[in-house]
Amino acid sequence: MAGSASRLRAVIVDDEALARAALRKELQADTAIEVVGDCADGFAAVRAASELKPDLMLIDIQMPRLDGFEVLELIDPAIAVVFVTAHDEHAVRAFEVNAVDYLLKPVDPERLRGALDRARQRLHRGEPMPVQALAAAARPQGVPLARVLVRDGPQVHVIPADALDYIEAQDDYIAVHSGGKSFLKQQPIAAIEATLDPGRFVRIHRSYILNVDRLARIELYAKDSRVAILRDGTRLPLSRAGHARLKELL
Amino acid sequence: MRSLQLLFVAVALLLACLVASLLALRGGAPWTEAVLLGLPLGLVYSAICIAARYPCRAAPLARTTAARIAGTHGAAAVLSAGAWLLIGSALSRILEAAPGFEGAARRFTEETPTFLVVGVLVYLLAVAVHYLVLALEAAREAEVRGVQARVLAREAELRALRAQVDPHFLFNSLNSISALTSQDPDAARRMCLLLAGFLRRSLALGSRERIALRDELALVADYLAIEKVRFAERVRVRQEVDEAALGCAVPPLLLQPLVENAVRHGVAQLLEGGTIAITARRLKERIALAIENPRDPERPTSRGEGVGLANVRDRLKSLYGDEAQATVRAGGDSFRVEITLPALEAPAAEVPGARAARAS
Repeated sequence: MAGSASRLRAVIVDDEALARAALRKELQADTAIEVVGDCADGFAAVRAASELKPDLMLIDIQMPRLDGFEVLELIDPAIAVVFVTAHDEHAVRAFEVNAVDYLLKPVDPERLRGALDRARQRLHRGEPMPVQALAAAARPQGVPLARVLVRDGPQVHVIPADALDYIEAQDDYIAVHSGGKSFLKQQPIAAIEATLDPGRFVRIHRSYILNVDRLARIELYAKDSRVAILRDGTRLPLSRAGHARLKELL
Repeated sequence: MRSLQLLFVAVALLLACLVASLLALRGGAPWTEAVLLGLPLGLVYSAICIAARYPCRAAPLARTTAARIAGTHGAAAVLSAGAWLLIGSALSRILEAAPGFEGAARRFTEETPTFLVVGVLVYLLAVAVHYLVLALEAAREAEVRGVQARVLAREAELRALRAQVDPHFLFNSLNSISALTSQDPDAARRMCLLLAGFLRRSLALGSRERIALRDELALVADYLAIEKVRFAERVRVRQEVDEAALGCAVPPLLLQPLVENAVRHGVAQLLEGGTIAITARRLKERIALAIENPRDPERPTSRGEGVGLANVRDRLKSLYGDEAQATVRAGGDSFRVEITLPALEAPAAEVPGARAARAS
């Protein structure tokens, strides 16, 4: 974290070389900013965030592989993020609702200075980015999550929704199980539940969400208590409410 | 409803006059008697003649054989006239019971053959009038439908035009120009010219009904030149076009939005970019066009991707009906749109913008 006297370390993320160059030039005019890296795609941005530990990231939304919102979801929420976008009414609405800073392309130097000032204030207050709220607001209404992104150090795993077996809550984290592997992600289980396709994923227990395609059978193992047995033999506890929800879907 | 009542009263009065005149002048009935019988009979037959619209509507001229029409309406005419006469005869007998109307029933019965002929003829006349009115109504309805179809076609056109000058494209182009002004002022100026040329040409072509494929491909080339500045070597293009297809007529801005989709949702989503393949083939009476681009198989299809395609389909439908098709072949890592159209020669008119651009 930068002290108020030291220079802010910034990373620029945009898939267009010209756009990166323009931002870099503008930022170089500000002596209180040091551009420590620039990235052409979302994976590189996630890697840069974890390896360079910048204070600030200026990031485009429409990019190959991971978009700006997905990157935000994967990086340290202490990094102040300023989005840069050509024109996307949906995204702009998400920013306005969540008091997050954004710049419109072509970037007005005056507005850029304002955004940098606000980023400094955010860092000074130690205020994290409203990651979950922003990600939810930015997703088009009624479109279920198509893939889950999990960061493992500087690496990003992309798990398509089809490939999810089940999700398990572990304190503040969720363990995403897919094809016998498990990936840990910092997200409340209710938050991911809200984004998954309700026609395929069921909260079968306080701590478990199941992909119903993976269910083999339900077994009664004691009076009034059941377990869900998956195709690969995994046994998951089934709460009474969870059993009701599962029965309703099947 | 009001006009129907007026029609009913008018026809009733006309028929009443006819019946009364026949009774008085041919049958020698006193005028009071003739009018007292004529009025109710006029009212009754007016109702019957107006109701004849329903059998006419049930047996439309175009879809019913002549024999059936003659049979249906002939029988209906005889039955209606017969019923009418029975009512008349009953009324004349009731009237006879009143003092001063002796012989009313006899006088009416003597005129029965006349009334039968008149009843049948009036009914058939009503049928003819109903068919005429129905035909006029059908013609007006067809005209309204035609106007609606034209309005829909125009709307599809406008939507296509709006979709084509995509604000993303403009803002991103302006951003590229803004970046180039300090790095490479000459390139910035070239980009301004490209953008102006593209906008001018798309406005000129967009206002026309049909253009030559040659002009559409030139517009696509203008567009791609701009995107190549923005994406550098990430946007690559392969074009295979039959010489014989170049003169064929296509709706303006048919391919450009599809190529724009291929950039925006295809190669721009790939780190290394990719090649957009544009093909145009002439197959005797038809031309086959195709746009193909690679895409990121890991990326879910984004919203808005289908809009351009829906526009193209709407326009083809309104311009060619079933004569043109647009099909999509979406593979895991590729996306291909194929369009086939009837091969018609384009009008020879040259677009001013196009000539200027070619000369430069």
